[in-house]
Amino acid sequence: MAKTILAVDDSASIRQMVAFTLKGAGYEVIEAVDGQDAFDKASHYQVNLILTDINMPRMDGLKLLELLRKLAQYKNIPILILTTESGDEMKAKGRAAGATGWLVKPFDPKRLLEVIGKVIS
Amino acid sequence: MMTELQSASDKLDNKAEDKLVLEDKDGVICNNTASEYLIGIKGDLNQAERLVSDAANNLVCNFRYISKLTGSHHEMVLAIERMVTPEERHSINELLEKQMLIANRIEQELEAVITSLQFGDLVAQLLAHTARQVEMLSDELRGIDRQGSLQGKAEKRALNSTHSSINKAVNEVKNKGKKKPVVQQGMKMGDIELF
Repeated sequence: MAKTILAVDDSASIRQMVAFTLKGAGYEVIEAVDGQDAFDKASHYQVNLILTDINMPRMDGLKLLELLRKLAQYKNIPILILTTESGDEMKAKGRAAGATGWLVKPFDPKRLLEVIGKVIS
Repeated sequence: MMTELQSASDKLDNKAEDKLVLEDKDGVICNNTASEYLIGIKGDLNQAERLVSDAANNLVCNFRYISKLTGSHHEMVLAIERMVTPEERHSINELLEKQMLIANRIEQELEAVITSLQFGDLVAQLLAHTARQVEMLSDELRGIDRQGSLQGKAEKRALNSTHSSINKAVNEVKNKGKKKPVVQQGMKMGDIELF
């Protein structure tokens, strides 16, 4: 059975690029337009990995991360950050909030799949 | 005579007061002008952000379509390969191999495009960041006006001088600036007019 990934980004083009890459590798993809949308969808569906942006309207990626880590079903699910942010302070915040990894945009599809393959198992 | 002089002096003082009040008003207008000018710049940045996002979304649609066609092409080549009779195999296989090589190259290029196509998000975020900074600067200028209205004469005079400089700078930039060269809000094809 294909594993499901929740891709969260307010940029439609990034969501499509991520979805294209992941679907091409056999994953099922659920898309969310911001942190709030992602939290609602994560509460409805059990996903195997979450790939989220940081800077988004309504709810940002760090807040989403904090909220998800409080839910029992998402305590150990890998959550990767895919963002334009590359500052150490931001990364430290992500790490403290429970992020599994930090990927800086633009992503390379092969590298993204490698990282996901490593952490999703 | 002294009364007349006093009266004249009072009038001059009143005139000076009037001038100061007028200058204050000018000052307020000056900062509002600068603020409105910056809001105009913010509008241009937002327009640029919309254009970039629109272009990026269109390119992603084109990309997905090309990718789909590449997949179909790949399948077609495999289907032809299966239909080939043993007698034709040698000559046709050579052509099919070339076709497969081209298809693979296209797929590799498409993978590279995925990375490049993310420029839209990066540029949009950068423009939004700059627009926020311009907005903050505009708010600060309005804040200086509000502060100015609470200060004494000396500070008001200093503020007027600053206002005047800002006003001059804004007007100079406005006068030198040409008409806005881009009015499009999206990446749809432009109008065509035949003469």
